[in-house]
Amino acid sequence: MKVGVVFCKCGTAITEKIDADQVQQRLKKLYPDVDFVTVDLACSEGGKEFVEAYLKDKGIDRMVISACSPRDHENTFKGCMHRAGRNPYLMQMVNAREQIAWVTADKVAATDKAVRYLDAAVRRVMLHDKLESKQLDICPDVLIIGAGPAGLKTALTLAESGRKVIIVEKTPVIGGMPVRYEDTFPKMECGPCMLEPIMGDILHGPHSADIELLTMAEVQGVVGSYGNFIVQIKQRPRYVDPHKCIGCGECTAPCPVSTKNPFNYNLDEKKAVGFTFAGALPNSVYIDPEACVRFKGESCQLCKDACPVEGAFVFDDKERVLERNVGAIAVMIGSEVYDCSRIPNLGYGKFPEVYNSVEFERILSSTGPTSGEIKSRTGKPPENVAIVHCVGSLDSKHKDYCSSVCCQAAFKFSHLIDKRVPTAKITHFFKELVVPGKEEFHLFHEAQNNTKTKLIRYGSIEELKVSGSGERISMEHPNGKGATEKTIFDMVVLCPAMIPAEDTAKVGKLLELTQDKAGFFDEMHGRMDSSLSKVKGVCLAGTCQAPGDIQRSINQGLAAAGTILSGLVPGRKLEIDPIKASVDAARCSGCRVCNSVCPYKAISFDPAKKISHVNEVLCMGCGTCVAACPVGVIKGNHFSNQEIMAEIDGVLS
Amino acid sequence: MGAKPKLSMYWAASCGGCEIALVNLNEKILAVDAAFDFMFCPCLLDTKKKDIEALPDGDIAITLFNGSLRTEENREMAHLMRKKSKILIAFGSCSSAGCVTALGNLSPKGENFKTIYLDSPSVDNPKGIIPTPHTTVPEGVLELPAYLDRVKSLAQEVDVDYFIPGCPPEPHQIWSVIQAVTSGKPLPPKGSVLGGGTSSVCEECSRTRGDKKIKELRRTFDFKPEPDLCLLEQGLICMGIATRNGCGALCPKVNMPCTGCYGPPEGVEDQGAKMIGALGSIVDVEGLKELKEEEINTKVDEWIRSIPDLAGTFYKYTLAESLLNQLKGRKK
Ligand SMILES: Cc1cc2nc3c(=O)[nH]c(=O)nc-3n(C[C@H](O)[C@H](O)[C@H](O)COP(=O)(O)OP(=O)(O)OC[C@H]3O[C@@H](n4cnc5c(N)ncnc54)[C@H](O)[C@@H]3O)c2cc1C
Ligand code: SF4
Ligand code: SF4
Ligand code: SF4
Ligand code: SF4
Ligand code: SF4
Repeated sequence: MKVGVVFCKCGTAITEKIDADQVQQRLKKLYPDVDFVTVDLACSEGGKEFVEAYLKDKGIDRMVISACSPRDHENTFKGCMHRAGRNPYLMQMVNAREQIAWVTADKVAATDKAVRYLDAAVRRVMLHDKLESKQLDICPDVLIIGAGPAGLKTALTLAESGRKVIIVEKTPVIGGMPVRYEDTFPKMECGPCMLEPIMGDILHGPHSADIELLTMAEVQGVVGSYGNFIVQIKQRPRYVDPHKCIGCGECTAPCPVSTKNPFNYNLDEKKAVGFTFAGALPNSVYIDPEACVRFKGESCQLCKDACPVEGAFVFDDKERVLERNVGAIAVMIGSEVYDCSRIPNLGYGKFPEVYNSVEFERILSSTGPTSGEIKSRTGKPPENVAIVHCVGSLDSKHKDYCSSVCCQAAFKFSHLIDKRVPTAKITHFFKELVVPGKEEFHLFHEAQNNTKTKLIRYGSIEELKVSGSGERISMEHPNGKGATEKTIFDMVVLCPAMIPAEDTAKVGKLLELTQDKAGFFDEMHGRMDSSLSKVKGVCLAGTCQAPGDIQRSINQGLAAAGTILSGLVPGRKLEIDPIKASVDAARCSGCRVCNSVCPYKAISFDPAKKISHVNEVLCMGCGTCVAACPVGVIKGNHFSNQEIMAEIDGVLS
Repeated sequence: MGAKPKLSMYWAASCGGCEIALVNLNEKILAVDAAFDFMFCPCLLDTKKKDIEALPDGDIAITLFNGSLRTEENREMAHLMRKKSKILIAFGSCSSAGCVTALGNLSPKGENFKTIYLDSPSVDNPKGIIPTPHTTVPEGVLELPAYLDRVKSLAQEVDVDYFIPGCPPEPHQIWSVIQAVTSGKPLPPKGSVLGGGTSSVCEECSRTRGDKKIKELRRTFDFKPEPDLCLLEQGLICMGIATRNGCGALCPKVNMPCTGCYGPPEGVEDQGAKMIGALGSIVDVEGLKELKEEEINTKVDEWIRSIPDLAGTFYKYTLAESLLNQLKGRKK
């Protein structure tokens, strides 16, 4: 072992405070065998060549470089080590410029400090391990969970660049929430039509061969890590071969059974065999086994008899469990809306005239329960409609956050009611109004300028009290002039908070994703990395990460695709930095203290061997577990307890 | 007799439990007697200090030195036993790391004396007499060994060959050390801990454990712990996670949390600090997520306040050796 100290003067930035000769003399006394050399500007081209030559000529294999911040030039000098044929981890940098010269005014004190820092670095570098980075083979394929706008855009983008993509969608249809909307803000484009080009390409575009779409499917197990996940997917039987079914719908009329239609929030009924709605993609019917009488022992096969295609119906279809190998996973399972019955004064669930926003979207839709006709309970068009914003949002009793889309959805409703029932009066009750963006204000202005539309601010949602009165319902509410009024409405539309989808916790548990206080998936960083989860190789996009509109969801999906494309490149290996933690298996007591501390979920417990294990692909080398392990058997490479203690001893000596 | 190697056991500031542990070898004590000339043990034998002084240096094969160094006499005897012994073993927690006596280091000498000789409710000392090394009485001058400023472990005063942890060391471990020393096989490197494992008490504890998240701390008298579940996960501060194994997890076996008597696990410098580090990593105070920093502080402070005696909990056996009071003179 031959240690050399390279002391950079940084022009004069360092030497005007630190006396290099004195440092050399005092260090020589402490470490007679350690070589010392000064250089004017180590980071210059000439400086780098000098350092390389110095390492080679003097046979130095461990280098302490006293210069600037490692943030500036650690990699530069690691490069010198590498080019001189030395292991780059056998280097320790002392930040003599920022931490000494720039902050310690007194020359004597600064020189003294430099000696201590160098003493510490010399002690430390002598203990450094020869670390080597590892290379792992990867699988470039990607799993996408959730086929809403975010998932579909991500999938298509990845497929377009030649990646194999597996999409797992829980329901029989793709498109997520927006395919249920007749129109979308801000430009009032038809929801399904807007998504059609993406959905069409996914199903039969030029890259569809690379996309495996699994509807009625859910992920039920995940093992492995970034670069190599093995995923278990459970697919429920459809009882219809989606590749054979031509989507003619001949089978539905003969079916003798009707059942609540969950896609229309049970506002109407559908047949045991059928589509979720007209135009749903993939264009194939499915049988609901809960409703179908065949599954109750009857011999009905009216649907099959009506079907013009041979073999489309597969009555003995079974649940399948599929296994796929992927390198990355994109979680895009969307959101749902808050249960309005938790605010009892609004009468939701009690009066059928009180709708929540997603139900109202279906009423507005031409494929919905009323084929898009807005009518009150009496069958007549409504005369007076109340639209309530911020239901459960910005409310410490319910959801603290602003759901960001409800105001715009509310003005979209206003626009559509006005268009379809021009006589109707509309009152918006809002707590706050949120319409940011370059296009989003149009619908708001339209409502504001409409003489039949009123906007009234309320303070707390409790001020709105819905009660029944004969045919119609009435609502007690602030009148905007400081008093309370009671008004008769034939329809009340509530715009509830957007909340994480039902399966968020379940999917989170499978992938070890954490959830924030509101239950949305935690992102790596709210501003800089919102499309990454804290688990390496698991990306996030859409409303499962935070409430938002289609634009945001799609953009975030694209960001996720970009990260995946740049991180997992076919033919390229995954380089694993060696600064990781590792458990000394022979001495681990299996106390499990470390198991829950890793922010990157890199630690797992082996119940058979009763010891913990760090996954080196997932570990980011943060050191949290090293500090936590009470037996001291987790070693942080390059930051071992011995190395750190030696450094402290050096500084304090 | 003279042909047998000499074995001695000396007690400094100790409770006598270590001697009892030795006697708890039961009939194996006969084997000890067969292998050694057990010649010095103030608790059991009548050999005097002057007899030891008369021995040639290094004449005693092995000395088991128990107890910490509290007084000048303890210190003197440490030097004497070092000089006269080939192998000096720090026996038990007091000698290894100070144990309970070292908790006295939390207060200065004067304060300790005040508590012991004046304030203690059971003391009747109307004249307020405080013992001093020299007291003149009509008959002459009485001498008492001086009280040291701070309690030291044996290794902080003299060169120690091996350490046997435990308060007291478990007889089966004492036996394993005696066997190792008499087997004639090469001994472990100097400075090693004998009679213990290299992991922690959890390794030997049969209680099932899950991901550790400690919501609230409880004490043994608050509730009846589940018999098969990790005590720490039930809110009892079980030092087992940060304590060298070797005892066989005696305390958790009988529903009592480990108090840490086997000292820090191999390679850990400071048992208390390690325990605090580990506990800090698994505190799971309800609803911390997204609270403001001050609110988190208040909640965590509350949690910490629920630990009744910080030093006595985390440093019951190792305060003398703790990094806390050794800004200088850390072992290199
Ligand atoms: C009433 C209302 C009106 C809105 N109107 C507009 C508008 O006009 N314009 C606009 O830009 N935005 C609008 N939004 C917002 C818009 O709906 C969302 O931004 C968008 O749906 C988010 O897309 P996504 O892909 O993240 O999630 P989603 O659209 O919710 O899709 C998620 C998909 O994941 C699937 N899934 C769920 N769990 C699982 C699981 N465990 N396994 C597999 N798949 C699963 C779901 O079935 C679904 O297909 C509106 C929102 C509401 C509530
Ligand atoms: S078999 Fe089932 S789905 Fe088909 S027509 Fe009969 S009841 Fe309907
Ligand atoms: S060092 Fe950090 S990232 Fe790595 S396993 Fe430990 S806690 Fe996790
Ligand atoms: S904290 Fe340390 S001893 Fe405990 S399980 Fe983890 S690695 Fe093992
Ligand atoms: S009870 Fe104590 S010794 Fe046993 S596993 Fe839990 S922490 Fe470890
Ligand atoms: S369980 Fe702990 S306190 Fe009890 S004997 Fe063992 S080490 Fe000592």
